[in-house]
Order: sequence, then C-alpha cells, then structure tokens
Amino acid sequence: MTDLASNDRWFSRLNTLLLILAGIIVITPTAWMVLSSFKQSFEVTAYPPTLFFSPTLDNYRSLSDTTPFPQYALNSMIVTVGSTSLGLLLGAPAAFVASWTRITWPAVVTLVARMAPGTLFLLPWYLMFRQFDMIGSYWALILTHAVITMPIVIWVLLPFFDNIPRSVYEAAQVDGCSPFRIFYRIALPLVSSGLAVSAILAFVFSWNYFLFSLVLSNSDTKTLIAASFNFIGEGSTNWGGLMAAATLIALPPLILATIVQRWLISGLTLGAVKG
Amino acid sequence: MASIRMRNLVKHYGSFPVIPGLDLDIADHEFVVLVGPSGCGKSTLLRVLAGLESINSGDLFIGDVRVNDVQAAKRDIAMVFQDYALYPHMTVRQNMAFALEMRGMKKPEIDERVASAAAMLDIESFLDRRPKALSGGQRQRVAMGRAIVRDPKVFLFDEPLSNLDAKLRAQVRAEIKALSQKLRTTMVFVTHDQIEAMTMADRIVVMKAGVIQQVGTPEEVYERPENMFVAGFIGSPAMNFLPVTIDGETLRLKDGTSFSATGLFAADALARASRGDACLGVRPEHLMVSPDKPSALDIEVSLVEPLGSDTLVHFQLGGVACIGRVSPDLRPRPGDRLPLLPAAGKAHLFDQTTGEAFR
Ligand SMILES: Nc1ncnc2c1ncn2[C@@H]1O[C@H](COP(=O)(O)OP(=O)(O)O)[C@@H](O)[C@H]1O
Ligand SMILES: [Mg+2]
Repeated sequence: MTDLASNDRWFSRLNTLLLILAGIIVITPTAWMVLSSFKQSFEVTAYPPTLFFSPTLDNYRSLSDTTPFPQYALNSMIVTVGSTSLGLLLGAPAAFVASWTRITWPAVVTLVARMAPGTLFLLPWYLMFRQFDMIGSYWALILTHAVITMPIVIWVLLPFFDNIPRSVYEAAQVDGCSPFRIFYRIALPLVSSGLAVSAILAFVFSWNYFLFSLVLSNSDTKTLIAASFNFIGEGSTNWGGLMAAATLIALPPLILATIVQRWLISGLTLGAVKG
Repeated sequence: MASIRMRNLVKHYGSFPVIPGLDLDIADHEFVVLVGPSGCGKSTLLRVLAGLESINSGDLFIGDVRVNDVQAAKRDIAMVFQDYALYPHMTVRQNMAFALEMRGMKKPEIDERVASAAAMLDIESFLDRRPKALSGGQRQRVAMGRAIVRDPKVFLFDEPLSNLDAKLRAQVRAEIKALSQKLRTTMVFVTHDQIEAMTMADRIVVMKAGVIQQVGTPEEVYERPENMFVAGFIGSPAMNFLPVTIDGETLRLKDGTSFSATGLFAADALARASRGDACLGVRPEHLMVSPDKPSALDIEVSLVEPLGSDTLVHFQLGGVACIGRVSPDLRPRPGDRLPLLPAAGKAHLFDQTTGEAFR
C-alpha cells in the first residue's frame, strides 16, 4: 500500500519535472522571438541577450511600411481558410465512408501523400498549373494545400467515426435515413469535437506550410510564411522585422488553440476516454 | 401491418452458412419469438428481415412485396436494438420524432404521435432529456417509443430485455405483451431466454445452428417437442434424458432397473419406437412422488434446491444426473430416498441417433 503510494508520488514528481522541461524547450525560443520583436534592431543580435530594454514598436511599424504585410496576411487567410474548408469538405465524408465500410486503404494513401516530401509534387504541379495558367492564383494554393489538410481531417476523424456504435447507424437506416442523411444528421453531429480538432490542426498546418507558396504563388498571392523568407538574405537581414513578422505569423494558430483548448484536449485523448 | 414469408432463405458470412436454408411464415398481427442458443443466427435472421443484411438466395416477402432488394430505409419496419441504439445527440423527443421527420411528416402530426406514444409508455416526464441522462430501463422504453411512433408494418426486437435487471425484465416482458395485444402489429422478437419465449409468444420458433427445429405455440413446443434439442431447450430446469432399452411394454435403464412403460406416453410413441435402444425424456415437474406405486423408481436425493414454491431434488438414475421438482412440503434432505414415477402421458421417447421424437 505505502509502496504504491510512494511510487505514485515519485511518478507525479517526475511528471512535473518533465512538464517543466518541455515548457522550457517550447517557451524559450517563443519568448526570445516575442521579446526580440520589441527591441531595436541592434539589440536583437546583442550578446549576451538583454532582458531589460525599452520596448519599441519600430519593427512592427517598419514591417507595414516596407512590406505589403496586410496583403500577405490576407493571402495566408484566404489560402488557409480555403484549403481547410476544402479539406473538411472532402475529408469528413471520406473518413465517414472509410469507417463505415472499414475500407481504410484510401485513407492510408492520403497519409502517404502527406508524409512524402512536398518537393515530390512540386515539379509536376508547377508544370500542370502553368498549363492551366493558374500559377499565382489562389486556387492553385488552395488545391495544393488540401494535400496537407485533407489527410489530417481524415485521420483525426476516423477514430471519432469508429467510436459511434454501428447500431446507431443501423437504427437510422431502419428509421428511413439514406446514407447521405445518416452522414449529416447522425454522424457529423456526433463527431463535432473531432471536426473542431481536425479543422484547427488543418488550419495550423496549412498556415505554416511554405513550400508550395514559394513556387506556385506570385508576389500578389504569396502567403505570409513564404514572404517572410524575403526578410532573410537580401543584403543585411532585418532581424527585428523578422521577429515581428514571426510573432504576428504565430498569433492566429496560438489564438485558435487557446480558444478551443478544451475541445482540443478532449479530442486528442479520445482513444483513452470514451465520449 | 403485414405478414412475412421466407422461402428457402440462405445467408452466408463468407463461406460460413449462418442460415443454410429457411422457410417460415409469420401471419399478420402475430407475435413470433425466435429462440435458440447464442450464435444460432437469430440476430442474423432479424437483420435480414430489417434489410440490414442482404441474403444470398431465396425469397423474402413482407406483405405481398418481395423485399430481397429493398433497402432497410424503405421497408417500413421498426427495430429495437439490444443496446437500444438511441441517437446520443438528440433528446428523447427528437429521437422519437426522427423517423417521422425522415418521412416528411408535418410537425403537428409528429407532435401528436410522439405525445401519444410517450403517454402509452409513460415516458412523458423525460422527453427533453438526452439518452445519457436516462437509466437503462428508461432508455429501453425510449427505444420502444421510437419504434411505436412510426406505426410500422412490422416490429423487430433483438434481445431488448437482456440489459435489464431481473425484476424490470419481468415487468417489461408483461408490458411488451400487453402492447402487442393493443397495437396488433406483427412482431418478431429474438431472445435466447426460453422463459421470455414461453411467456410472450403467440408462436415460438426454436432455432439451432441456423436451422428451425420446431415452430409452434408455447404449449405445443413444451408439451410435444419434436426432438431432443427442443425438449432440452424449452423448460427449466431442462428435461431429464435417460437412455433406455425397450422390451415390449417394459423400459430398462442402463443400470438394469426396469419399469413398466404402460400409460407413460401420449399416443402410440412406444409402438413407433418398437424394440431396441431409445432415449426417455421426462421433465422434472413430471416426476411424481408415488409411494403407493410398486413400480416407482427408488432414488437417493443428492442435492436439494428449495425455490419456495417448489423444491428441486438432484439424484442419479441409471448413471445419469437427473432433477425432480417436488412439493416443498415434502422437505426432502440429501440422503433421503424417494419413490419417483413419470406422470401418466407426460413422458417422451426419442430416437437415440437422430434425436427425433417418436409420436
Ligand atoms: N458480420 C459477421 N461476419 C461473420 N460472421 C458473423 C457476423 N455476424 C454474425 N456472425 C456469425 O454468425 C453466427 C450467428 O450470429 P448471430 O446471428 O449474431 O447469432 P445470435 O443472435 O443467435 O446469437 C455466429 O456464429 C456469428 O459468429
Ligand atoms: Mg444476437
């Protein structure tokens, strides 16, 4: 009895320690980034880093003065929201059907496509979109980003759909439901937290993906994350501006994750705790 | 309301013939109970009726329509599932209204139907709760309510009482029977519990390994089982089976004990069986304590189980473990000796090899 109790205490201490460690690893660079964005440019690269400084908004101001930052942000929004919606539109029914029929190999194919390096697709896509004169269009980015979002939606939703008792579907069938109605009247409402989780993850992954935008966009449709690469290299790097841009880019996913934290946690631990 | 006809119906799972070929007629308004041991294909048959499983060959008619290729959604059949299968995200009211909505019924009529079904089942007080906030018994009622509002051609029940405690089960059993008499809709009820079958059915269908063993009223399957399987499955405790050798009007047990068979069997079972080996079947309740009969079998009680209304006595006879049901007033004790004799006309005789009853 006492052995077990002391074991428990030991584990909980180890747990706390690991959490603190993980926190430090995640928070240090983030804090460094955010703090740096409020420093004068020369202070950013100072060694040792200054912890106390007089904060300034210069970096943010220069960002909007010297770059079409709002335009990039809008591009990112359009591409991310578009590809997330497309991912949900295609992925949710796909996951439902895969779960219903227990045929999962197509879902595996999408996962493989997701895990393959993006460069694999890039050249054929570039040629293809050029053929259709779509290079630099939002559609090219939205469609290609669906390769990121759809597998996420499918694989997050699959266990949610699998968790719905089969007899509930069958009851609906007997009650006169067509498969399509079963999908949107029974299955979808029952996986609402899974939808939220998959939408957020899809949003974040699409928002953060830069490779396709780098090649398939033009200066009008470039996404934020791809555009921010321009800050590096051209002559001397504007470290302060880069930090300000990075901070702003990181904001939407962070805000999203905070808002839906509760769903996110319950959704990601679905396997352990049955809803 | 409709009759059901099955003609040489075959259902395979892969290469495994769950139902190798089945013929059954269920009349309009009839309450039929499919009973059999677990895994004998009762649920499969019910799901075939509902349209949740397709059949490999044969014909299935509901009313006069051949429904082999009709989807579940179009069959106008209601089903109560073993786990109730309520829609978790809907209130009780929405659960009940759902099928009517799917049919495009107008709201006032839906409300009216839900209200009347809710009143019939006494579930009005929790119409606005979700299934999660209901007890097992309440969920069971809602599942029935969801079926009743539809006023379907046929009701199907798949072991709907198996998740209830014993007391509630007996109560709901009686309620379902009362309901069936009131609604007069064709009902097919699946259970592995022979007591449910006996108490509720107009007709019982006894199944084993996908094959119908006997179809009959509860009285028929109890009093005139067609084979040893039915004889052993219906009735509790189960019928005692004793291997015997027939010699004219005398039966001889394996240990050499012999007794007169005169009057033991209904009709001319003995004549049909003729000479040789057979199996004698006697229900525990048909073993009579007969001190005044010289031919009575003298047994030694090994175990006593008082049930209150009756007392069960266990004993060995001809090398076989047997059970007798006697009056509790007898107050038998282990070690006591009792003179037992099968009641006149109540014993059964079965073919040793095929298990078929001699009639
Ligand atoms: N989907 C299925 N695939 C393969 N075999 C099945 C399936 N469903 C049931 N079976 C088998 O069919 C037989 C009958 O099952 P079932 O109809 O559920 O029996 P019961 O309801 O009488 O207990 C069992 O042997 C079972 O293992
Ligand atoms: Mg079953």
